[in-house]
Amino acid sequence: MELQLQNLCKRYGTKYAVDNVSINLVPGLYGLLGANGAGKTTLMRMICGILKPTSGDIKLNGKPIEELGEQYYSQLGYMPQDFGFYPDFTAREFMLYIAAVKGLNKKEAKTRTENLLHMVNLSDVADKKIKSYSGGMKQRLGIAQAVLNNPSILILDEPTAGLDPKERVRFRNLISDLAKEKIVILSTHIVSDVSYIADTILMIKQGRLLLQESMDTVTNSIKGKVWEVLVSEQEANKYISSFSVVNLRHEDNMVRLRIVNETEPIIGAHTVEPSLEDLFLYYFGEEIQPERSNPNEDIN
Amino acid sequence: MKTLIKYEFLKILRKKSSIIIMSVSLLVTAFLFGLPVIQYQAYNKDGVIKGLDGISYEKRQYAQLSVVLTEEYIADTIREYQKLFENPENVGYDGNERFLIGDAYWNFVAPREKLLKVIATNYNKPGEYSGLNKLLEITTGVNFYKTRNEKIETLLNSSFLKLSEKQKEYWHSISSQVKTPFKYGYYEGWEIIITSFELLMFAILAICIVIAPVFAGEYQARTDAVILSGKYGKTKLITAKIASSFAFGILAFTLHIFLAFGLPLAAFGLDGWNLPIQIINTTIPYPFTFLQAVIINTGIIYLVLLAMISLTLLLSAKLKSSHLVLAVLVPVLFVPMFLSSNGITGAYNLILFLLPYRCTIPELNKYISYQFGSLVLDVLSVRAILYTVLTAIILPFARLGFKKHQVSA
Repeated sequence: MELQLQNLCKRYGTKYAVDNVSINLVPGLYGLLGANGAGKTTLMRMICGILKPTSGDIKLNGKPIEELGEQYYSQLGYMPQDFGFYPDFTAREFMLYIAAVKGLNKKEAKTRTENLLHMVNLSDVADKKIKSYSGGMKQRLGIAQAVLNNPSILILDEPTAGLDPKERVRFRNLISDLAKEKIVILSTHIVSDVSYIADTILMIKQGRLLLQESMDTVTNSIKGKVWEVLVSEQEANKYISSFSVVNLRHEDNMVRLRIVNETEPIIGAHTVEPSLEDLFLYYFGEEIQPERSNPNEDIN
Repeated sequence: MKTLIKYEFLKILRKKSSIIIMSVSLLVTAFLFGLPVIQYQAYNKDGVIKGLDGISYEKRQYAQLSVVLTEEYIADTIREYQKLFENPENVGYDGNERFLIGDAYWNFVAPREKLLKVIATNYNKPGEYSGLNKLLEITTGVNFYKTRNEKIETLLNSSFLKLSEKQKEYWHSISSQVKTPFKYGYYEGWEIIITSFELLMFAILAICIVIAPVFAGEYQARTDAVILSGKYGKTKLITAKIASSFAFGILAFTLHIFLAFGLPLAAFGLDGWNLPIQIINTTIPYPFTFLQAVIINTGIIYLVLLAMISLTLLLSAKLKSSHLVLAVLVPVLFVPMFLSSNGITGAYNLILFLLPYRCTIPELNKYISYQFGSLVLDVLSVRAILYTVLTAIILPFARLGFKKHQVSA
């Protein structure tokens, strides 16, 4: 199975939300990283056939998805970012309804619904109306509906939003289990969501695909560009505004800074093994700089 | 498909707003159609008899009026009326006209006032109103049905109607199917229904309000992304949404119809269902009984309802919120209420009589017809065809609207 995106563009007026993205996706888990507004959601909506590209093609095994129609959608599972529910439906009714939309027969729908509600830990509240659910519960229900049809292409847009740390770990494991022999694209701006489970990292910035690299080698490009240095608190304030500081940690009266920079930022800094977060900061540092302007805040 | 329809139906029914709107609409319909029962007043020498007692009194009065309106019967009735005027004690005068008073009025006119009016009106020229006094002018030969035919002929040739030869021919042929002599009797319940059809517009509006979120609600609730990316999201689901909307609309409207027709018929009885509608107005050209007229017009209103549901679905698929849907729909349904006709020809009038609100009014006595080349159709047929065609045209666009919907921020 191969999902091909060929010269995919989406333009709103003069602004490109997705700009000439070409990529061939084979089974595996793809972590789609990008800052907010980078074009992740637009790209995913186009893959799901609910947003028409301005130009370019999306093909499954060489056939355009518009031609495949139901055949394509039957293989698709999609969990959109910030999507809604029918508040007057119970979780079970919602799942059975989505199962019908996905073309599952009654028996299959019932079995899959029970299994998935159990898997996302919602069995006990399956007959309660969704309007009584917390954000995290709704998010888990969203994940469950996405995999109802056991899709071979699974698109998850910011699926961990609203989940607490424990739920995020649970969710990561869940996705990892579900991803076998599937094309899974998981978009996030939280690096740790994908750093443990992704096979391949895709980075998107201002609509353009910056990087497509296997998880094993993705950080190679910034090898020798990640530095650590121990400085005073006064110096730390100065360096935070001058460099891409990935992390800071207080040690007695000093501060240990982790900096991503092409060259040695400060005399005495030494290179360390780069992580995915370092890579993210390397590409998107400018875009997310304002979020870590407080020098006393540990951004890890 | 059945499961999809079931859940789409549930989506409509589960909303609190649907239940509230439908309950209010049913109450309004019950009130509007129940009002003629509550407010009914019959009169006799002793005063006013109100409500159900009045209805019962009036029905007893009519028991002796279930007759065939033969020339002889009409002649006898007119003669009897004229004879009462020979006794000066029976006659009053208000400066303008003479009228019967005292026992002559209460014993002869009051029990058959409607019948006397319909006979008198038959002898009026088109557009003339002279009350019962017209009966005093008939001195030689009654010729009730001949007069009716001549009156229709005058109407068809009047400069006011401006009918073409083809249209006149059409109305002659329709009118010739009316059976004479007319059977007369009690028909109060049916008359109330025939004159109150337009009140069903509130039910149509209520149904459209409930249907308005069928597509737009998915956009507003942000559930569009999930369902449109499902296998049947752009195919069977749309069919299910349309089917459930129609099913809901038909069921809800039928409930309103039961209430709207049931209340007056329960109070006034089914009497009159088989009587010709000409006993309201002798120049009505349609050869219908009261029951047939009610069934035909109700059928047309159902077709209007289906077209309005289709229009609502189209707007719902195209617009981002159900409020916007209603902002377009309410004027379409209710602006024609404030427009009046100035004839039955000309583009303005011909269009006006086809607008949703006007379509609920049967306009049985107006000779409204539409000519397409040599083909002439009456307003009832055109309404039925138009709204069937509109439904067939609008629905594919509604379907396409949702199918092509772009999920964007």
